[in-house]
Amino acid sequence: MTLKGLSLIPLAALLLSACSQPVKPPAEPDDAVEARKPYGSTYQVPSSPVTLIRGATVLTGDGRQLNRTDVLLSNGRIEAVGANIPLPEGARVVPGNGKWLTPGLIDVHSHMGVYPAPETINHADGNEMTSPVTAEVWAEHSVWPQDPQYEKALAGGVTTFQVLPGSANLFGGRGVTLKNVASVTVQGMKFPDAPHSLKMACGENPKRVYGEKGTMPSTRMGNMAGFRKAWIDAVEYREKWRAYEKKKNGKPPKRDLKLETLMGVLDGEIRIHNHCYRADEMAQMIDLSKEFSYTIAAFHHAVEAYKVAPLLAQENICAVMWADWWGFKQEAFDMVRENLALVDYAKACAVIHSDDGIQVQRLNQEVAKAMSAGRRMGLDITRAHAIRWVTLNAAKSLGLDDRIGSITAGKNADLVLWSSDPFSIYSKADKVWIDGVLRFDSGKPGLTPTRDFNLGVLNPEEDRP
Amino acid sequence: MSATSKLRRWFGALVAASGLSVTASLAADAVLISNADVYTPHGIKASTDVLIRDGVIRAIGPELWAPDNARRIDATGMSLTPGFFNGDTHLGVEEISAIESTVDTSSGDPRVTAAMKVADGFNPDSILIPHNRMQGLTHALVTPESNAGLFAGQAALITLNSHGQQILNDSVAVVLSLGESGQHLAGGSRAVAMALVREALDDAKDYAANKAAVRRGERRDYALSLQDLNALGPVVSGRKPLIVHVERADDILRALKLGKDYGLKLILAGVSEGWRVADEIAAGAKAVIFDPIHNLPDAYESLGARLDNARIMQQAGVKLIFTGMGWQNTHNAFLVRQSAGNAVANGLDKLAAINAMTLNPAEVFGLKGGKLAVGSPATLVLWSGDPLEMLSEPEMVLIEGREMSLVSRATRLRDRYFRRLQAHSR
Repeated sequence: MTLKGLSLIPLAALLLSACSQPVKPPAEPDDAVEARKPYGSTYQVPSSPVTLIRGATVLTGDGRQLNRTDVLLSNGRIEAVGANIPLPEGARVVPGNGKWLTPGLIDVHSHMGVYPAPETINHADGNEMTSPVTAEVWAEHSVWPQDPQYEKALAGGVTTFQVLPGSANLFGGRGVTLKNVASVTVQGMKFPDAPHSLKMACGENPKRVYGEKGTMPSTRMGNMAGFRKAWIDAVEYREKWRAYEKKKNGKPPKRDLKLETLMGVLDGEIRIHNHCYRADEMAQMIDLSKEFSYTIAAFHHAVEAYKVAPLLAQENICAVMWADWWGFKQEAFDMVRENLALVDYAKACAVIHSDDGIQVQRLNQEVAKAMSAGRRMGLDITRAHAIRWVTLNAAKSLGLDDRIGSITAGKNADLVLWSSDPFSIYSKADKVWIDGVLRFDSGKPGLTPTRDFNLGVLNPEEDRP
Repeated sequence: MSATSKLRRWFGALVAASGLSVTASLAADAVLISNADVYTPHGIKASTDVLIRDGVIRAIGPELWAPDNARRIDATGMSLTPGFFNGDTHLGVEEISAIESTVDTSSGDPRVTAAMKVADGFNPDSILIPHNRMQGLTHALVTPESNAGLFAGQAALITLNSHGQQILNDSVAVVLSLGESGQHLAGGSRAVAMALVREALDDAKDYAANKAAVRRGERRDYALSLQDLNALGPVVSGRKPLIVHVERADDILRALKLGKDYGLKLILAGVSEGWRVADEIAAGAKAVIFDPIHNLPDAYESLGARLDNARIMQQAGVKLIFTGMGWQNTHNAFLVRQSAGNAVANGLDKLAAINAMTLNPAEVFGLKGGKLAVGSPATLVLWSGDPLEMLSEPEMVLIEGREMSLVSRATRLRDRYFRRLQAHSR
């Protein structure tokens, strides 16, 4: 178990440690390239007993519903899924009769940690609204690990979430994917080796924020020009590094954090998560991606995704959507409750998201609403299929579908045992495992220590409820 | 709205309504809904019939008789509730939040605070109204926001009817902000906010007792304009409710003391920490308007927010009125039922949750009906299943016996693009 756990120690951290590399003078080309590698995670999988969850109704996340099925967890992984799995010696048994088991829920659009509770200006660290292109900032450098919102999301079954910068800027900065585990440092929450992401934003927000300052962009065409200018700089920067890497020696180019992030996108290492509401703008952003030869992982909010669903399917871009939010600005005017269902109908990748501290606690209900709207218009959508919108499809948008998002042997043991059908409003998470470790148990309050903020903040003798 | 467009709307309602077999019905026709789970104020009657005639509930019971020409709806497995009510919305006064020209929720003039009637800015053709109506919301409070002063203005009671008058009462309560918002508006201290409110209430009393002297110029100056003091007249005489926004326990207690000192008919709104002073609220406030889903310490005044707030207050005898869900309480005001469902999931009695969206606001705001009882208006929603489940959809929405359209701008968009997607996949 511990040996297997070691394999989760991030590769980057090993490579950067002094003893793992041959001794080289500091100016060696490899070091210059290595220095660009992202900061590592320090998260390690704690040891946990082998656990057999028996007889639950399993929604696998990849489209199947398995009734009265056993799931065996060992070494932080899902070891086996099937009927009547023999109980390994010393294993812990969790009765699942009458309960439902799903993969851990994934929220691919969260601002927990960067817009923590309480919402005060002192804590609001999610939007570097000083320049339209701030690809150099990283959300992880703003994340407050004591945000009391995380544990509420955990009680709602959320095991993984992507924290993104806000949408004021054309390029808002890098996002970070975190595990929903308690840690004093953000490094201890970082999902090991998860791809980095870059938040881009089209539409009303950048043009409003900078237009009001009297600077570019103040229009959608200004937005596009700003994107293109930045990518042109990135292409040039990339050529400099390519030339340097080819030569093998010589002076490396001076690092530019902004262009380094954009270069990571052009190199296919950093995934684009693009805030974009309107259908026509999604098409513009796709054209932009073709001009500079990068790919878009997902359009976020995507209120009009249903209008271009076949295009999204063709381009293999996920649409990350709310079940029903609308009306707060012009570009959120054409909401339909069937958005997820219609995107799914067109065989594009539909994902639910919260973008909100209340909704992140009940993404299962958000999926239920989106499924119900689709069914009402006559589409045949099963629970087994719809749960994918908050599990496997979400994992796909993060580039983590090889590790999380479905209940299949070999994947990380991120699981939620629900008190009843998770599509019911009365259903609650009974137990939540992350990498096979029980992190939440409705019968054992305090299993995971509450965040520091909650200690004695209302009553000195108690934790905030 | 022109008569023809009214007709078109009404005709559209008839042809497009629900998945049930629909025969054209007029309000005068009899409708027999049979075998539904019927949510009366005192209990859920399983598999029960409800007879409606002339827009009124005529009978509730097993195997009811109905005239031969009655429309009959087999509602086996479905639930029938009164239409739902959201206690804090901007319906009709906020179309697109970021577009100021469509938002009429607050005053920018310190001479018009308590005097502002949101009803004067109400747009009955708001697309939010059919959107929410078709999801089972039939009534709402439209509330102003404090901006130019602590008093926000006067709230309106509306029905989301597709025909006739929507504003049922253009001044059902006056709204006041205390707590953090009041502190901010008062220039930086709760203490100043309290002093300003007491001054305003004293002035309103003084003005009410000395109007003639004021007209003769024989009275001292007042802090508020005369129209504001006029608007506060029925509040200080205890006839019209004052809705006070407060979250923190001590802010709640201060509001209650204010209510007692001035003999106010007090309704508290927000009340994140209501559970800490539930007995005091039960004794001193007519009702509370709040979102039971709110459990985050998203402000320092709501550190105590928790999911069983509704249960604790209800058990203490507080009359609950729900709003929600979250900040989408206007555009998706119908999602109040999701907030209610989560309150039940966290211990609130289910009937108490339904009453917090029906009977309680009806009683507090003088709305006829709000209950599934013989003699009440047939303002009802037939749900495909449990009314608090997100998998349940409205099969039929009746307002005073008239069937509402289940079409909205959003369903028009849906249908247009679904046809295109179908053509594309062929």
